[in-house]
Amino acid sequence: MSTTDPIVSKPLHVTVNGIEQPVEDIPEQLMMLDYLNEYRNLTGTRFGCGIGVCRACTVIVDHEDGRSEEIRTCITGAHYFEGKSIRTVEGHATRDENGDVAKLSEVQQQFLDHFSFQCSYCAPGFVNAATVLVERLQREPVPRSQLEATISDALESHLCRCTGYVRYFRAVRAAVLATPGTTVEG
Amino acid sequence: MAGYRQTLAALVLAVSTGTGWAASQATAKQIERGQYLARAADCAACHTAEGGTPYAGGRAIETPFGKVYGTNITPDDEYGIGNYSADDFYHVLTQGELPDGTQLYPAMPYTSYHDIAREDSDAMYAYFMSLDGVHVPSPQTDLAWPYSMRWTLNFWNWMYAPDDDAGQRRAADNQRGRYLVDTLGHCGQCHTPRGRLGALKRDRHLQGAVIAGWQAPSLEAEALAARGWDDASLREFMREGRSRQGSMYSEMYPVFHHSTRYLDEDDLKAMSRYLLGENPPAAAHVAQTTAVDDSPGRQLYLNSCAGCHGADGEGAPHVASAMTSNTALRLDSPRNLVKIIHDGIDARAFTGYERVQAMPGFGDALSDPEIAKLATYLRRRWGGQQSVVEADDVAELTGASD
Repeated sequence: MSTTDPIVSKPLHVTVNGIEQPVEDIPEQLMMLDYLNEYRNLTGTRFGCGIGVCRACTVIVDHEDGRSEEIRTCITGAHYFEGKSIRTVEGHATRDENGDVAKLSEVQQQFLDHFSFQCSYCAPGFVNAATVLVERLQREPVPRSQLEATISDALESHLCRCTGYVRYFRAVRAAVLATPGTTVEG
Repeated sequence: MAGYRQTLAALVLAVSTGTGWAASQATAKQIERGQYLARAADCAACHTAEGGTPYAGGRAIETPFGKVYGTNITPDDEYGIGNYSADDFYHVLTQGELPDGTQLYPAMPYTSYHDIAREDSDAMYAYFMSLDGVHVPSPQTDLAWPYSMRWTLNFWNWMYAPDDDAGQRRAADNQRGRYLVDTLGHCGQCHTPRGRLGALKRDRHLQGAVIAGWQAPSLEAEALAARGWDDASLREFMREGRSRQGSMYSEMYPVFHHSTRYLDEDDLKAMSRYLLGENPPAAAHVAQTTAVDDSPGRQLYLNSCAGCHGADGEGAPHVASAMTSNTALRLDSPRNLVKIIHDGIDARAFTGYERVQAMPGFGDALSDPEIAKLATYLRRRWGGQQSVVEADDVAELTGASD
């Protein structure tokens, strides 16, 4: 991104996947995606369209009140996240003492079990969006009869060009139903 | 030879049925012309529901007095205008009165259409009669008392409607722009301020008004030029739906979608010339602040806006409007800017293959004081507007739209 203004950097305090990141001077106009990819070497978050449409760049912001929220990092500046705590696709699995993946999250495992991923480019956005959905339903369960519509509503803005929508959909439904307290009768 | 025989047979048939020949001859040209005029008059904006059958009615028009619905104007005998004569149609269009004497609410812009030429009315009538009738009733209006009593409109008309002596102006060449802007386009219905009882203030013609929570900006030549408009950009805006000054959104998007994109270049020129005058004032160049602005507004802009609109406000082709030449930043009132930041803009399709994705609203992500700082920064940096937008302004402007 070009600018006629001199590039000004300032310290950024952000927690990623539960770990407070080293405080560095970050250009004030750097997008969060570039911060994750270039400064933290967290390359799981993907640059797709660059204009906030495809949502491959989606991460989760964890609010202090317990809510989790999707944010598109290709169109959101790194300094928007000052003082915030986020999760990326690298942060979902449980890891052992060596840092290796010990157990996938329910959402990740269901995506694998349902063969939802093909090229995987959109995967980080889908994993984060589905996780946000499951967490929301844990706080605010919906009647079982509304689950399909709720899933569509929550995920329809995420683009997959391998036409994996049906397998994504089934995997998310399975993940929700495998998580206690996400639906109520009706 | 066969063609000749068919023609002769048609002639004999036509003559034998009396007026049929003249009518069928007339409609071919009239229908095409009527469709163009119906588009210029933007009938669809109110008489077509979103995603609904064209002209079958259903769109709710919010007025300060309650909801009025665009009616079914397809030629259905029961629910549409199938039983209208050309005289009836002309009377409704220009006087706002149905054949049975029912007075229409002035949400139907008959005070603008009053000057529609009879031959244009007849062409529009021919077009509407050429459509398939759609057998669906129009939704009922929902107005608060006393406005729910239609007879009160007789007093309204007596006080405010243009009187018959004004006569009908013919759409002569030198009046074409006026006819398109004031009569068919009925631009003044939104862009001219209204008095307490909803009548247009004729002494403040096209000087801008607040309607449905949005600022319909002034269309006076000096005001347009001050916001950076010139002849070429006005025509581009109406033809393409976007220009370097911004894009059609909110209430203007349907106007573009149903109306202005269909107008031919001669008519666009006539409208532009009418609005800007024969000797248009030069489009103002707003000096851009190039020094680093350390206001919190700049960081808010970089955090939430620059990803699409550019760190320098340069915008992105086919994606996001430039801030550097944006007309909304140059308005005296921050109303539209604040509402857009707060609520976002839906995805839209423009002329050709131009599409823009939805702009997200930031009403949840940013607090009122933050939106106020952001709006102040944008207006100062690129709009030449120095006044400070306060958090209270944001609360007031965005609360009204909820």
